[in-house]
Amino acid sequence: MAGNETGARFDEDRPLSAGESLALIEQQQNEAQRRLGVNPALFYGPWGAAYLLGFGSIFLTYPTLFPLRLPGAVAAVITGVLFAAATTVSVVTGVRAGRGLRGPSQAAGAMYGWSWTLGFCALTAVNIGVTRLGLPDDAVTLLWSGSSLLLVGVLYLAAGAMWQDRFQYGLGVWMLVSAAFSVFAEVPGNFAVVSLAGGGGLLLAAGYFALRHPRPAASA
Amino acid sequence: MSAIGSIPELDPVIHAQARLRVMVALSALATGDQITFPRLQQLLEMSAGNLSTHLRKLEDADYVQITKAHQRRTPITYVALTHSGRRALEDYTAVLRRLLTPANDRPGG
Repeated sequence: MAGNETGARFDEDRPLSAGESLALIEQQQNEAQRRLGVNPALFYGPWGAAYLLGFGSIFLTYPTLFPLRLPGAVAAVITGVLFAAATTVSVVTGVRAGRGLRGPSQAAGAMYGWSWTLGFCALTAVNIGVTRLGLPDDAVTLLWSGSSLLLVGVLYLAAGAMWQDRFQYGLGVWMLVSAAFSVFAEVPGNFAVVSLAGGGGLLLAAGYFALRHPRPAASA
Repeated sequence: MSAIGSIPELDPVIHAQARLRVMVALSALATGDQITFPRLQQLLEMSAGNLSTHLRKLEDADYVQITKAHQRRTPITYVALTHSGRRALEDYTAVLRRLLTPANDRPGG
């Protein structure tokens, strides 16, 4: 490589040609982006699986055209475990991404993370308050699935706006449409909509981000 | 490639593998954000001593700002690119691109 060996004590100290320098810049940029940035697939993947299988299993507790029928307890366990797992992965991913960093974008990221907690706390309070007044069972079911998906959609819109990512914004729009459809699909069709449109949409988004995110040792 | 060795037009503070990597990694942070010394070290896979040496040189050139803070009585060192550091890296990259463009392809050249 180097025709001039004098002074080349370590590889690291060897002077770089302009081309090598530019290649190093690109490689290091890629590496820094990969290690500092959060791959949204880490959020969307587990949630997509939780929606698809969790709400899918709840759908299967109802008498439907589908031949399989699950006991309610089984669906509850599947949904509970998958939701707990997805929440854990999201929190750990979010906290780990911000480790060793501070500044305006970290504060913005933390505020966005808390928006999920605050939003779902308020949603729970509102829905319980409304339910207390006495609603038919199906209305309670639709209230929860529709409002949850609506809030998820709005938070993805916010993510798209914050990180200037039209794909995430589009995913938010998709979730809003799914939320509306889920209510009109009625019980148990709402679970099929949340499972397939909601969970399926998230899994597609996870696949998209898994492919788009910089990989280690990418060939430029 | 005839350009092995020092290229006079290139900023000598940045034109060294280790310091270039430090500068590029820091430029990946959003403006105003800071990174702790250990996370930067992990990101670059450099030894603490090596990284300190290069950071000192970059700080002397006013390309990097080093802030000491305390969290639960533990001292933490934060590192960030300064405005002139970000500018210097942009200029350095622009010079590289110009060097790699054949003379007769240069606009106005």
